[in-house]
Amino acid sequence: MRYRLDVNGEMREADVPASTTLLDVLREDFGLTGSHLGCGHGACGACYVLVDSEPAASCTMSVEEAEGRHIVTVEGLAPAGSLHPVQQAFVDGDAMQCGACTTGMVISTVSLLMKNPHPAEGEILDAMSPHLCRCGAYGRVVKAVQSVRGVAL
Amino acid sequence: MSRVANSGWGRPKTPEQVEERIVVGQDGTVWARSGKVEYGQDIRAGFARIVAREMELPVARVQVELGETDRVPWDMGTYGSMSTATDGASLRAAAAYAMALLKERASVRFSVPVPDLAVQDGRIAASDGRSVCYEQLVESGPLEGTVPSGAALEFASGAIDGGSFRVEAADIVTGRTRFPHDVRVPGMLRGHVQHPPVAGMHLDSFDSQTPYAQEGVVQVVHQGDFIGVLARRREQAVSAAQALDPHWSAAPSNPAEPLDVTLHDDPDISQELAAAAEHLTSTYHVPHIAHASILPSAAVADVRPDGADLYVATQRPFGLRDEAAAIVGLRPEQVHVHPQHMSGMYGGGGWDQAALDAVRLSHAGQCPVLVEWTRAEEFALSAHRPVLDAQIAAGLSEDGQIVAWQYHCRTNPHIYGTAAVPPQAVAMTSGRNAIPPYALAHAEILLHVEPGDIRTSAFRSLAAAPNVFVIESFMDELAAMSGQDPIAFRLRHTDDPRLKTVLELVRERSGWNRSPREAGHGMGVACAVYHGTYIAEVARVFVAADGTPHLEQVYAAVDAGRLVHPDGARNQIEGGVQQAASWTLLEETRVEAGRVVTTNWKTYPIATFPDAPEGIDVAFVASDKPSTGIGEPGSVPVAAAVANAVFAASGARVRQLPLRPAFIQKARAQA
Repeated sequence: MRYRLDVNGEMREADVPASTTLLDVLREDFGLTGSHLGCGHGACGACYVLVDSEPAASCTMSVEEAEGRHIVTVEGLAPAGSLHPVQQAFVDGDAMQCGACTTGMVISTVSLLMKNPHPAEGEILDAMSPHLCRCGAYGRVVKAVQSVRGVAL
Repeated sequence: MSRVANSGWGRPKTPEQVEERIVVGQDGTVWARSGKVEYGQDIRAGFARIVAREMELPVARVQVELGETDRVPWDMGTYGSMSTATDGASLRAAAAYAMALLKERASVRFSVPVPDLAVQDGRIAASDGRSVCYEQLVESGPLEGTVPSGAALEFASGAIDGGSFRVEAADIVTGRTRFPHDVRVPGMLRGHVQHPPVAGMHLDSFDSQTPYAQEGVVQVVHQGDFIGVLARRREQAVSAAQALDPHWSAAPSNPAEPLDVTLHDDPDISQELAAAAEHLTSTYHVPHIAHASILPSAAVADVRPDGADLYVATQRPFGLRDEAAAIVGLRPEQVHVHPQHMSGMYGGGGWDQAALDAVRLSHAGQCPVLVEWTRAEEFALSAHRPVLDAQIAAGLSEDGQIVAWQYHCRTNPHIYGTAAVPPQAVAMTSGRNAIPPYALAHAEILLHVEPGDIRTSAFRSLAAAPNVFVIESFMDELAAMSGQDPIAFRLRHTDDPRLKTVLELVRERSGWNRSPREAGHGMGVACAVYHGTYIAEVARVFVAADGTPHLEQVYAAVDAGRLVHPDGARNQIEGGVQQAASWTLLEETRVEAGRVVTTNWKTYPIATFPDAPEGIDVAFVASDKPSTGIGEPGSVPVAAAVANAVFAASGARVRQLPLRPAFIQKARAQA
């Protein structure tokens, strides 16, 4: 089946079975490997992308469901060679260790701040709760999100 | 399979050649080479800072090359919080020697004695204003020679500056970082292997035809007990592997012999215990837990008749190189290991089964192959942390001093092939931190190591975290029994000034017992000396009426010698504390009939954002002593500090992990 997807502002085509996940299309067909396959059940947050500005697990969304939606991956947040303010905040606060979970967290942070530029700590924890970090950088991530509060996105 | 042959125990340390460590490039970049690998601990930045300091360069001028087996010196593996302490020291010596060689060349060039030369920002200057940059000094030939021992070298003194940075950070946040999962090689297929559910099972039968009916399937690979598939896409390979529908025959009994190791053996310990004014005996249990890396294992192998390239995430590039070479019949130097960015493995990255899957499939299919394990396979087939069952007893004198100590534990190996592991290696793994850092008068410390019911392996801090949970919980029991303050009780049992310093520092930082106790709130302390790093931690918890423990705050005081990368070190301690808090409060691998049944994030929950403590306060002791490790120590005292805080908060002494509400309620009822 042929599918046309709006990814990072570009219309792209994939010829895959209907059951193929959005994540597999992004990684295998479009070469966008910044979204990671951590569990395949939407339980860890490593594969999060923006779907119509909402954070969503791309590993449980089929390519069929993704058609006609506006998809943004971590690669599409800022032009090549520059960093989105949220990405910059994660770098400045060294809010990461191995980085396997980081791109998904960046996606959820961008969505949170677009909707709510001044989130309280509880709202940050709620928004980030789908994301697992095994290295234990939670405290630094919360501080990074707080540091970018109120910045125009 | 023997791990020992690849583990490097007893390999003699040969004198190092500067050209294997430090290369001055034509553009002025200084290349520093190490066999260690990066998996989140920011060792790349640490090494860059060490070399930049010795060679008087901006940190950005130093490029660090890690784990590329063709280009870096042989290394046993990235374990044991040793990178900064050992390879950092080697790089520091090599950089200091490189600097000495450069000064000698400048001295000849300017006809000026070495002591009259000044060095700044990559240039060596004579007092008359003539100066030369490093790259000009290697136009006549690269720096070469045997690095002299430390005493013959002149080291730069003072703090290491160069700001705080993680070399890979911009790539990580933009998704450019390449994990093995992201490697794409021309002509590459996707492979997936069906492993037996229990190690050692034999393949009785499988369906070799049905997979071929599935879209994208290229080849079914069958060699003895090994079966797998090659397909065009990842999801096709996973699906086709399921269609193999293998049947396995029962595993043979594990032939590995148990091993008993005596770490300390004072005579007549039973009499000493019986003669003490007060004594106490307790039993403790620590379950299997999973490394639970965020990304399941993956690897790319490209095996050709005359050589092989492996794009992998491994903690032991040279061990994997040798093992892969043996499998496909190549010489080790024909196998080129290229470490990619690694999803944190915390000690589990030395097993390399996905890499060996890829090697076998690539060899059979004569094409590059990417293997990605599924989440369920990662939980079910990986090796887990050994179980620890301990019986511990001590006797106190009338004034509350320990006069006798007995520690007997049963655990599983941290390395495969226990029978071949020398007892001193067991002492370093299962016995790690089993000897308390205290004056004990008389002690008996015995280990019994036997194969586990599932595969067990190295895990962050090896047995230190489990042993310290038992020992430091028991120290708390002894302090409570004799009516002593837990920190004062520890201080009276050590003369080590560095241990005393971290205990006193954490007492001050945490406001230990200074604030009035609120109902349900409590503080607990624990400490350890881990591979030369001194650490004391205080946990503050709230225990709800239903027994649910909430970790509110952790304070850590650390003496790791000279800090090479202070914010990186802080991040490592914070992460160690957070990860160990998760082990302590939530984690247990459940096993039924030899099979891991906790194979997803629902049945194996780890700490999430809402579980994180409000703060992790890390204080370092300023020191010019040799640098020691930082990757594991933060995790080591956490379980005991939290368990001791639960006791202070609720009166519940819980002697098994994780600290489940049900265990706390039961212990509370018994209190």
